[in-house]
Amino acid sequence: MSSDILIGYTGMVSFGHSVFFGIGMYGAAAALLTVRPPNLWLALLYGLVAAALVAVFVAYFSTRLRDIYFAITTLVFSQIFYVIIFTWTEVTGGENGLTFRQPPLAIPGVPSAAFTPVTLHWFVLGVVTLSYLLLRRVTQSPFGMVLQSIRENEPRTRAIGYHVERYKIVAVMLSGLVAGLAGVLYAIQNKFVAPDFVFFVVSGEVVIFNVMGGMGTLVGPVAGAAFFLLLREGLSRFWTEYYLIPVGIIFTLMVIWIPQGLLGFAKRRLNQ
Amino acid sequence: MAIPFDQILIQTVNGLVNGMILALVASGLTLIFGIMDVVNFAHGDLVMLGAFVGATTIAATGSFWLAFLVAALVIAVFGAALQASTLRPLLGRDPLTTILATFGISLVLQKYALWQWGPSARKIQEPITGQFAMFYLEYPWYRVATAFFAGAIIGAFWLFLKYGRYGIWIRATMQDRIMASAMGIPVPLVHTAVFAIGAAMAAASGVLFGPLGGVTQTMGFDFTLRAFIVVVVGGMGNLGGSILAAIFISLLEAYASIIVSPSQAVIVSFMALILTLLFRPTGLFVPTPSSSGACWRCRRTS
Amino acid sequence: MLALENVHTYYGKSHILHGVSIEVRPGEVVGLLGRNGVGKSTTLKTIMGLVRPAEGRVAFEGRGIGGMAPHRLAHLGIAYVPEDRRIFRLLTVLENLRTGLDRPGLTDRRREELLQKVYGSFPVLRERRDQAGGTLSGGEQQMLAIARAMMLEPKIILLDEPTEGLMPRMVSQIRDIIQVLHRDGVAILLVEQNVPLTLEASSRVYIMEKGVVRHHAPAAELRANQAVIHQYLGV
Repeated sequence: MSSDILIGYTGMVSFGHSVFFGIGMYGAAAALLTVRPPNLWLALLYGLVAAALVAVFVAYFSTRLRDIYFAITTLVFSQIFYVIIFTWTEVTGGENGLTFRQPPLAIPGVPSAAFTPVTLHWFVLGVVTLSYLLLRRVTQSPFGMVLQSIRENEPRTRAIGYHVERYKIVAVMLSGLVAGLAGVLYAIQNKFVAPDFVFFVVSGEVVIFNVMGGMGTLVGPVAGAAFFLLLREGLSRFWTEYYLIPVGIIFTLMVIWIPQGLLGFAKRRLNQ
Repeated sequence: MAIPFDQILIQTVNGLVNGMILALVASGLTLIFGIMDVVNFAHGDLVMLGAFVGATTIAATGSFWLAFLVAALVIAVFGAALQASTLRPLLGRDPLTTILATFGISLVLQKYALWQWGPSARKIQEPITGQFAMFYLEYPWYRVATAFFAGAIIGAFWLFLKYGRYGIWIRATMQDRIMASAMGIPVPLVHTAVFAIGAAMAAASGVLFGPLGGVTQTMGFDFTLRAFIVVVVGGMGNLGGSILAAIFISLLEAYASIIVSPSQAVIVSFMALILTLLFRPTGLFVPTPSSSGACWRCRRTS
Repeated sequence: MLALENVHTYYGKSHILHGVSIEVRPGEVVGLLGRNGVGKSTTLKTIMGLVRPAEGRVAFEGRGIGGMAPHRLAHLGIAYVPEDRRIFRLLTVLENLRTGLDRPGLTDRRREELLQKVYGSFPVLRERRDQAGGTLSGGEQQMLAIARAMMLEPKIILLDEPTEGLMPRMVSQIRDIIQVLHRDGVAILLVEQNVPLTLEASSRVYIMEKGVVRHHAPAAELRANQAVIHQYLGV
C-alpha cells in the first residue's frame, strides 16, 4: 500500500516514469547482487545514481521538445529501456527478472536487524516523509518558483533571462530521482525485479494518480493514488479484474470535466 | 560482414508490406491530429477492436471480405460516437489533455476486449492462400495483397481529399478551423466524420493484419507506439509524410532484423524518432523552404 | 436586417465591447470607423459567432443569432472577410473558392455562374486558379478573400479592413468591388481605417471609441463636416 502511493508520488506528467522507477529497481538489484554482504544504503545509492543518470539522459533529449512531443518521447524512452532489459538476458535476467535477498536494516549506531513487515513499513514511511519534506522545500525555493513560472508562461520566463532548458532538465532529474527512490524501495520490499515494472503500464498508473489527484501539486498524486485504490477496492468486488473499465471511464470523464483534479476541484469549491 | 543479397530483397518486401499496413494506421492518426489537434492514444486499440470484430464476423459468416467491411463500418460508427461524446468537449484545449483522455479510453477498450473476447489470441484465416517462390522460401501471396490493398485504400482516400466534394471540407478545416467554419463548413460534423474515417482505416488495418500476426487485446499498444513514431517522423498532421515515414521506418526495422533479433530491431525505429525530434522536430518529410537539397547548409543554421 | 443591441463581449477577463448597438439595413453599405483597438474587429467577430457575446442581442432578419455556430450563420447569408484574410494557404485559388461552392443544394450551373462572375471581377484569380493561396501577393490574397466570401451568395458581407497594407491601385480595385456588391444588393458592414474610402463607399457611418459607438451619422453629413472625424480619429 505504501509503495503504491509511492509510485504516485512523482509530480510530472510523463509517460516515461516507469523508466526511472525500473532503473531504480535494477540499480538497487545490482548493488544487492554484486556487493557482499548486501547493504541497504549502497542499494539506495546505486538505485538513485542510476535513476539520476538515466533521467539526465532522457531529460537532455526530451526537454527540448514541447508538450505532446515530450509525452511521446518519454513514452518511447520507456519502451527502449523495456526492450533493452527484456532482451539483455545475461545481465538483467530477461523476462524472469532477478531475485535477491533483502538487506538488513542498518542504521549507523544501531545494531543492524533484518526487516520485519512492521519495521519495513516504518522505514518506507520514513523515507517517503523525508523526501516529501525535501521536495516541498525545493518547490518553495526560488528554484521551484522558476519552475512554476515556466509552467505558467515559458516564453516570458525565457525572456526574463532564465535558462529554461537547464531548469527543465533539473526538474526531470529530480522527478526521476523520486521515481528511482520509489523503485529502490519497491525492489527492497519485494526482493525481486522484473522488466514488467519498466513497462509503460506502470507509467500509465502514475498518470492516472496524477490526473485524478491534481497535477502540479505534491499532495495531489497521493490523493489520486488513494482515490484510485479506493475505486479499485470498491469496484473489483463487482467487476473483478475488469475494474479498470469503470476506472478508465471515470478517469476520462475527470480529464474532460475536472482537469484540475480532485484537489484542485476541492480547492475551487472551498473558495466559492 | 557480408549480407546475402536474397535476404536484403526478402526484407525489402517484408518492410514494404508492414510499411503499408502501418501507413494505413498512421494516416488515420495523423489526419485526426492534423484536423483537431487530438493525439489519439487509443488509435492502436481501434486497430485491435477492428481485428476482433473482423474475427468474430468471420467466425459467424466465413467471409473475410464481408468481415473486412463489417469491421470498418462498426468501428467507424463507434469512432464517431467516441469523438462526439468524449473528444468534442476537448476541442481547443491543450493536446496533452487529449492524450490523457484517449489514454483513459485506451485502457477501457483494452479491458473491454479482454472481457468480451478473452485473453487467448485469435487467428484470422487468410482469404488468399497461394504462395510463390522467393529464393529459399515460399512467400505468401496474401502478404503482397495486403500491401496493395492498404495502398489502394490510402490512394482512394487521397483522391477523395483532392477531388471529392467533401474532401475540400476536410482539407480546409485542417488548415484553418475558424475560417472553414465561417465559410459555412460544418466543422463539428467534419471532425466527427474524420475521426470515423480514421477509425475505419485503423479497423481495416486490424483485419488485414489479423492473418499475419494474430489478434490479441494487447496488440493495440504496439500499433499506437509505431504509429506515433511514424507520425512524428513524418511530421505531425502531414499525410504524405506519414506514409513515407511508415515505409521508411518499416524498411529500417526489416533491414535491422537481418543483423539483430526482431525485438531489438524496434530500437532502430526509436532511434530514428529521437534523431528526427532532435534535428528536424517538424518532421523528416516536411518540405520547408530551407530544406531543399541545394541548400542543405541553411538547414543547420535555421 | 442585421441589428446589434447593447452587445458586451469579453476576451477572457478583459471587457472589449461595452454595449455596442449597430444596425445594417438590406443592401446598405455601412462603415465602422475608429482607432486601433477600439473593438471594431471584435464587433465583426461577435456577429460572425467567433466570439460569444456576454450580454445584449445580435439579430439577423429578426432572429436572434447570438452564440450560433459560424457555419450556420454562413448558411443564413452572412459572409466574413477577416482582417488577416485567412486564405487557406495550401489550397489552390480554385480550391479556396470551392470551400464556399461545394455545399449541398447548389447546382453545377449556378456554381459555374458564380465562378465566372468572380473571375470577371478579379481576372487575376482566373490566371492563378491552380496556384497555392499562400503564394499570392497581399493584394491578390485580399481579392481571393472577398471572392471566396462571394461564393456563399451572402446577403451581407462583413469586411474587416480590406485595404490595409495595400498599394493605391489595389485600394481602388477594392473600392470598385464594393460598388459592384452594392449594386447587386449585398449589404456590407465595412470596418476601415481608411476614412476617405469609407466616407465615399458607405451611406452611413458609425464611429467607435473604447468599445462603444460614440457617433452615428450619414456619410454625406460627415463628408461635409470633418470636425467630428478629427475629434474621434485625430486625422
